[in-house]
Amino acid sequence: MKLLRTLTATAALLAALSLTAFAAPKSIKVATDATWPPMEMVDTNKQIVGYDIDFLKAVAKEAGVAAVIKNTAWDGIFAGLDAGQYDAIISSVTITKERQAKYDFTEPYTSIGQILVVPKTNKTAKVIADLKGKKVGAQIGTTGAMEIKKVAGVELKTYDEIGLAFEDMAAGRIFGVVCDEPVAAHFALQKKEYKDKFKIVGKSFTKEAYGIVVKKGNKDLVALLNKGIKAVKAKKLDTKIHTKWVK
Amino acid sequence: MSKNPTSHTPIDVGDGAAIPNKNDAGLFTAWRIAFFGAIFVSLYLAFGKSDPYYEIFKFVPDGILVTFKVTLGAILLATCIGLITGLGRISGNRFINGAASLYVEVIRGIPLLVQIFYIYYALGRFVKIPDMLSAIIAMAVCYGAYMGEVFRAGIQSIPKGQMEAALSLGMSRGQAMRQVILPQAFKVVLPPIGNEFIALLKDSSLVSILAVSDLLRRGREYASETFSYFETYTVIALIYLVMTLFFSKLIGIMEERLNAGK
Repeated sequence: MKLLRTLTATAALLAALSLTAFAAPKSIKVATDATWPPMEMVDTNKQIVGYDIDFLKAVAKEAGVAAVIKNTAWDGIFAGLDAGQYDAIISSVTITKERQAKYDFTEPYTSIGQILVVPKTNKTAKVIADLKGKKVGAQIGTTGAMEIKKVAGVELKTYDEIGLAFEDMAAGRIFGVVCDEPVAAHFALQKKEYKDKFKIVGKSFTKEAYGIVVKKGNKDLVALLNKGIKAVKAKKLDTKIHTKWVK
Repeated sequence: MSKNPTSHTPIDVGDGAAIPNKNDAGLFTAWRIAFFGAIFVSLYLAFGKSDPYYEIFKFVPDGILVTFKVTLGAILLATCIGLITGLGRISGNRFINGAASLYVEVIRGIPLLVQIFYIYYALGRFVKIPDMLSAIIAMAVCYGAYMGEVFRAGIQSIPKGQMEAALSLGMSRGQAMRQVILPQAFKVVLPPIGNEFIALLKDSSLVSILAVSDLLRRGREYASETFSYFETYTVIALIYLVMTLFFSKLIGIMEERLNAGK
């Protein structure tokens, strides 16, 4: 009996010890969909690089954890978080009401807007509504796709990757693409295959903020990441990263 | 006393399998359980559980229509390609035979998904094919190769005597092929074509990668906005299941009819 009591006591002590040891994670797994240049992309050396990646590394360093990046397809990136395949998502995720209902976000770390890209041959279109009766593309499940859906008379076509939408526009199958402004600038102004074909029209027409996503109720991780984000902003590291990636 | 080996009782050589499947008969066949079960579960989810299943069932029907269009278009085109390929494979002309064989070998060696990407994006650089047509062509080019083999086997299954008889009646080779061999071969290949149709229906979900708004793409669109992945893919799986089971039954009935006419 006595032996049993000592055993349970030791077990309880061990459990308590291990809990405190694991309270602060040494390393977190973070998913990103590396098809969204210049925010996150795969470079010629097969390395995942971009604004978000540098930002996450800075945040992790300030928060005192190691971050491992996992390249994940966008369609299903939230499902993977639900399934616990990784701890967080940094992938230009706009903070929206619908997403906040299901997931927790860190505080916003940068602001962007949606913008329309059309072929240079189109002389008249300024907004999505000008493309009535035509197909307009966006990446599946993005705020860009939701903006197109709001416009009556325009047919939304969703793509697994935004690059495929631009390729389809180059092939003449769709007549506009809506995505985040830095991404639009990357494809329409910098990519040599598309520079002479596409143009950005009008100004960005939404006000959105990116946040890092974690599983609903994972308050510890949100607090940890927020601590890191605050420190990064205080040291003005975010502006450095911004000028490096977003021209 | 040894038995006389020549006077044994004859063994009853009946039809049917050596080991018959006794479980697949009666009221509860596997097909019935699956088909009516899937329909029942669908109805229960849509009207019994309702949220969000009802919404999902409302969101995807136009995708079902697109899936049908792609499948039907591709099976028709693939049958034409298959017939030409099958005839080419049994042709005596070395060039035609070689071309048909090369087509079958090359297409069977490339994954369907890669072919779909190739025809849509790689060729999209040079020719402007609308998206639906691209999807149909990609599926048909792939399935045409498999159908070619189906046709070849079907034609070769017709006994040699049929050709000889037709020739002895004074028909030309081409005439004999058209009027005697092919009509009989069609009967043989109809069931395998039916099976290809079902395989194509399932594989047509691959065209969702092309932003063609088929059943799977519609489901993914719904799931990616609402995050109800489990519910959405449950519904999508059920709809595909009901469709394929329905057609497999139809093909089974067709096969029975054909066999009865023998």
